Amino acid sequence: MQVEIQILFNTSVTAAIYLILANSFSFIYYPTKFFHLAHAIVISLGAYFVFLFAIRFPIPFAVSIPLAIAVATLVGLACEIFVYCPMRKRNTPPLNYLISSLGLYILLQNCVSIFFGDDTKIINTIEVTVGHQIFGAYITTIQIITVFISIAFFIAVNLFLNFSSTGKSIRAVSSNPDLSNIYGIPSNKTILISFGIGSSLAATAGILSAMDTNMSPTFGFNLLLYGVVAMIIGGVGSTTGLIAGSFLVATAQHLAGFYLDTKWMDAVTYFILILFLIWKPLGFSGKILKKIQL
Amino acid sequence: MKVQVILISYIELNNLEYLLHLFILIAVYTLLSQSLNLAAGMTGLISLSHAGFYGLGAYTTALLSVNFGFSFWLNLPIAMVLSGLVAMIVSFVALRTVEDYFIICSMGIQIILFSLMNNLMEVTRGPLGIPGIPSISLFGFGLDDKIPFLLLTFVFVSLVWLILRNIKNSGFGNTLIAISEDEIYTQSIGKNIYLLKVQSFSFSAMLAAIPGALYAHYISYIDPTSFTVNESIFILSIVIIGGMGNLAGSFYASAFLILLPEALRFVGMPDSIAANMRQIIYGLMLVLVIMTGKNGFKELFKIRSIVEKNRNR
Repeated sequence: MQVEIQILFNTSVTAAIYLILANSFSFIYYPTKFFHLAHAIVISLGAYFVFLFAIRFPIPFAVSIPLAIAVATLVGLACEIFVYCPMRKRNTPPLNYLISSLGLYILLQNCVSIFFGDDTKIINTIEVTVGHQIFGAYITTIQIITVFISIAFFIAVNLFLNFSSTGKSIRAVSSNPDLSNIYGIPSNKTILISFGIGSSLAATAGILSAMDTNMSPTFGFNLLLYGVVAMIIGGVGSTTGLIAGSFLVATAQHLAGFYLDTKWMDAVTYFILILFLIWKPLGFSGKILKKIQL
Repeated sequence: MKVQVILISYIELNNLEYLLHLFILIAVYTLLSQSLNLAAGMTGLISLSHAGFYGLGAYTTALLSVNFGFSFWLNLPIAMVLSGLVAMIVSFVALRTVEDYFIICSMGIQIILFSLMNNLMEVTRGPLGIPGIPSISLFGFGLDDKIPFLLLTFVFVSLVWLILRNIKNSGFGNTLIAISEDEIYTQSIGKNIYLLKVQSFSFSAMLAAIPGALYAHYISYIDPTSFTVNESIFILSIVIIGGMGNLAGSFYASAFLILLPEALRFVGMPDSIAANMRQIIYGLMLVLVIMTGKNGFKELFKIRSIVEKNRNR
């Protein structure tokens, strides 16, 4: 019984992180309709800047975390301003955005490697404790914070998209950028805003994940891919589908880790992704994607 | 004169063996990138699973020669057929997705293949790798030396280059290029694009097994870290930097990217940074080539394109 509760706790913490990631990634995916893989480096950078500000120069955590999120968001915005926006003006084919984001990812990841080193680092905030015991299972403070932040972000993002005017214009640009331009919604500016929000969410997820476990320059890429898998499984364009997707991915990983071996977690995740892409490419929600309509 | 003196002293310093090693690596990457060029460049199937098939070839030949004592000349066809078969089965399902989703799907295939190599401890020995792969022998002569091995790889490179060039100029190749340009139009003139894509993808994976087999026999030790997603991205960027569908471009790009860290070391950059610096440079080249929408790095410096643009106006 105790093991099952522990698995349940671990699954919900992992699902919480994937939910933030899927949310942040889909924020960028909705209006631009391409996979911004350089998002992975924003995740890593958030964590690495906290490491830089809080451990190297002793700035208190309360200041250094917002500062790190701000700097990582600037990197995400720079990607849009210097790479994607000129590409959009030139009308490049849609596939090229993904390839250029791969190039950007390699470029920035190696900059991080040179600057911080390739070794695994930890952000040791407080002395290591066993954690709180609830129903015989253990959960640490940072894990509880992760779950709450994730729920709060999810509610805030949904409220923002549905009720604020900026959120509504993001949805307008997502459904038809040309028509929203005609109606006076500047699509480039709206995309820039969604890049900003998405990047700051991603940096937060990176910091939470790095505080929970550890970090290396490439850890963002794996996390991002899990977030992307959660987003595809959940159904692109559906906010409640994201919860189902991230829970499915997290549950599959933890069950595979428990019953098979932790080393098969990656393979199981991508196997599920491929199954979904083939038999149910629309995900749980069943909303139709641009790529599938012809 | 001065350059010659420096070059000769550099060669003497690091001895000729190292230079030959670099040439062999260039040949291996030329084979890899040209075979990917068939799928990615001509057909437009941007695949991030090429290192997986390269690894599949390497592991097949390594396991067969270590466990059963098969020779290279028997291993090579078996590895090619196996890699082609796996690619065919995989592509039957993966090719039902398109564009971005195909890239993510192929990345999933790559990660599953890597995870099989890394985790099937009973078969592949996992991260420990497979040591003691014998070198290739031809008509009773062992190709232990680097010079005969280089000649052998040269033969393979020219053979594959010839095959791919003929494919490119054939009717089949033209149909593949038509698919990459306009899929729906090609379908409308009665071509079975699904089948053609499967053929192109499987043949490309089949050719990727050749450098895998060569590499395994050459290095004589393989482990899964040579066949990661990053390796796939590297091979794809060689193709893109060289130019899509441009076979000679793939050769120049792989020569450039293999020799780049040596050049950086020559300039006096420490080893620890040189490896990262190479990746930074090819990432930058990839972004520049894709951003400007040019076909290959070479075209970035073409002045004629500007003249043509003015003429069209």
